[in-house]
Amino acid sequence: MMNSRSSSTSKTWKVINLICWTGFLLIIQVILPKQGFGKIYIDINAPSIQKINIAIPDFKNFSANKEHPELSAAMPKVISNDLDLSGFFTTMDKEAFLDEDGPFLTAQNIRFKNWSVIGADLLLKCGYTCIGRSVEVEMRLYDVFRGRLIIGRRVLGKIETYRSLMHRIGNEIIMALTGHQGIFLTRLAFVGTSTGNKEIYICDYDGHNVKQITSDRSIAMFPRWSPLGDKILYNSYKDGGPMLYLKEFSRGGVKRISGRKGLNIGACWASDGKKLALTLSYRGNPDIYSVDLEGKIIEQFTNHWGIDVSPSYSPDGTKIAFVSDRSGLPQIYIRDLNLKREERLTFEGKYNTSPAWSKMNRIAFSQMSGNRVDISTINPDGSNLRRLTEDQGKNEDPCWSPDGRYIVFSSNRAGGYHLYIMNANGQNQRRITFSKGEQTSPSWSSY
Amino acid sequence: MRKKIMTILIAVAFTCSVLFLMTSCAKKQIAGEEGITAPAAPAAPATPSAKPGIEEKVSDADADRRAREAAKAAAQAKLKKEIQTFESGNIYFDYDRSELKPKAQDVLTKKANWLKKNGRYSVRIEGHCDERGTNEYNLALGERRANAAKKFLQALGISGNRLTTRSYGEEKPAAYGHDESAWSKNRRDEFKLIK
Repeated sequence: MMNSRSSSTSKTWKVINLICWTGFLLIIQVILPKQGFGKIYIDINAPSIQKINIAIPDFKNFSANKEHPELSAAMPKVISNDLDLSGFFTTMDKEAFLDEDGPFLTAQNIRFKNWSVIGADLLLKCGYTCIGRSVEVEMRLYDVFRGRLIIGRRVLGKIETYRSLMHRIGNEIIMALTGHQGIFLTRLAFVGTSTGNKEIYICDYDGHNVKQITSDRSIAMFPRWSPLGDKILYNSYKDGGPMLYLKEFSRGGVKRISGRKGLNIGACWASDGKKLALTLSYRGNPDIYSVDLEGKIIEQFTNHWGIDVSPSYSPDGTKIAFVSDRSGLPQIYIRDLNLKREERLTFEGKYNTSPAWSKMNRIAFSQMSGNRVDISTINPDGSNLRRLTEDQGKNEDPCWSPDGRYIVFSSNRAGGYHLYIMNANGQNQRRITFSKGEQTSPSWSSY
Repeated sequence: MRKKIMTILIAVAFTCSVLFLMTSCAKKQIAGEEGITAPAAPAAPATPSAKPGIEEKVSDADADRRAREAAKAAAQAKLKKEIQTFESGNIYFDYDRSELKPKAQDVLTKKANWLKKNGRYSVRIEGHCDERGTNEYNLALGERRANAAKKFLQALGISGNRLTTRSYGEEKPAAYGHDESAWSKNRRDEFKLIK
C-alpha cells in the first residue's frame, strides 16, 4: 500500500518535473536561442555558396475561430521570397512535401524522416493566432538531419503589416544561420513613371508596399536615403533647373538644399549624415563639392575642365569614386580626399559610369560597350574586375545593400526598365518591381 | 498770348505722348501673348478696346487706321513666324560630343542675327542627350551642349545676360526609339525665346 502510494507520488513528481523541464527548455529555446546553438550553417563570406534546401510548409492556424485562413499560405510566401532573394537557400516546392506531422510545432510532433527523404536540410514550422487586428506568430526552425531546433521565436504584430512581421522572422533566421544581420527590413527609393511623370517612390526591399512620396509633376531624379533612413535627398526640375531637395519623413516637408545655377545633382551622403558630395556647375563646369545640409559649400573636391559627376564615398569616408571624361570618354576615378590625389580606376571599356562603393569595399559600376550596358564590380585598387550581368538587356544604376552583399539595379531585360536584385557576385538575379511604367535609379536604405 | 501758345503746345505734346504710349503698350502685349505663350494660336485681331479714348482725338479717316492695323498685323504675323523659325531650329551633336558642327554654326549665326535685330528677346538654351549612358553624366553633357551654343552666340556679339542654359540630359527626348535615327534627333540644343 505504502509502496504503491510512494510510487504513484514519485510518478506524479516525475510528470511535474518533466512538464517543468519542458517548459523551461521551451522558454530557453524561445527566448535565448542564440546561446543555445552556436553552429554557423552558412559562411556568407565564402566565394561560392552551397545553397541550403529549406522546406516551409503552410503555417498552422491556431486562432480560436480559425480567422484569416489566407495567412496560412500568404505568410510563408513572404519568408520564402526573402530566403530566395538572400541567395543562401533553395526554397523547396510545397508539392514535394509529405507533411504528416502532428498538430503542434514541437520536435516530437515532427517526422523528420519525411523531410530528410525529400532532401530538406532545414524545416521552418510556424503557427499563428489572430486576436482582433493582431497576429502572433510562433516560429521554429529545425535542423532536419539532427532533428534539433535551431531557433524558436514568437513575434506579435498587426495583421495588415504581416509582411514586415515575416521580414523580422526572416532576419532572425539569417542571424541564426550566418551570424550576420539580415536586410529584409530595409527599404528602397526609386524613380517611377506610373503617373506619367518621374516621381520618387519608396518600397520594401522586396519591391512590395510601394508608396509615392513626391507629386511635383515635374522630373524627379536620383533619390538618396540618408544614413539613418529618416531623410531622402532628390533632384527635381519643379523650380526650373535640376535642383537638390531634402525630404524629411518626420516633418513631412521638403526643403531646397541647393538651387544654384546649372546642375545640383547626384548627391552622395557622407556616413555622418551631415554633409554630402554633390556635383555643381554654377561656375560653368561640373565639379564635385562637399556641401552641408544647408547647401553651403564646405570644400571643392574636384577642379578640372572635364565633366566630373556621380561621387560615391568609400566606406571609411577618406576617398570618393567619381566619373570624369577628362581622358576623352567617361571613366571612373578615385580621389583621395586627404592626399588630394586623383587616379583613374577603370581602363577596360570606353564608357564606365555610376560608381557605387560598398561596405565590403567593392565598387560596382555600369559599363557600356557597343549596345550593351552591364554591371561590373572592381576592387578600389583596380584588381579583380568582374562582370555581373551578361546578355540580359541593359543594366544600370547599381546600388549596394547596407551590408554590401547585394546590388539593386535597373534593367530593361523584360521590356521597360524595372528594378532587380542580385548577390554581390552576380548570382540570383531577381526582378522585384512590377508597377506600371518604369522604375529606375534605386537607392537602398540602411538597416 | 505767348503763354497761351505754350499751354497749347504742351497740351499737344502731352496728347501725342499719351497716344504713343498707349499704342506701343497695346502692341507689346499682343506680341507677347502670341509669340511666347501660344505660338500656334491664330493671329488675334488688333484689340479695339484700347482705341475709344484715342479715337475721339484722332481726326484721321478710318481708312488710315485700317491701313495701320493691317500693317501692324502683318508685322506681328511676320514676327510670329520668325519666332517659330527661331524656336524650331535645333542644333544637333555627335555622340558624347559637345562641339558645334558646321551646320550648327550656321544655324546659330542666323539666330545671332535675329537676336541682334530683336533686342527685347532673351534665349534659354536647353541641352539634351540621347538615352545611352547614365542620366547624371548626360545631364552634364547636356549642359555642355547648351554652353557650347551660348559661347558661340556670345562670340557673335550677343550679351551673356540674354542667354541662359538648362540641361535636361536624356529626360526629354524629341524622338522615341532605340536606334541611331532617334538618338541623332535627341542629341540636340533647343532654343526658347523669353521676352
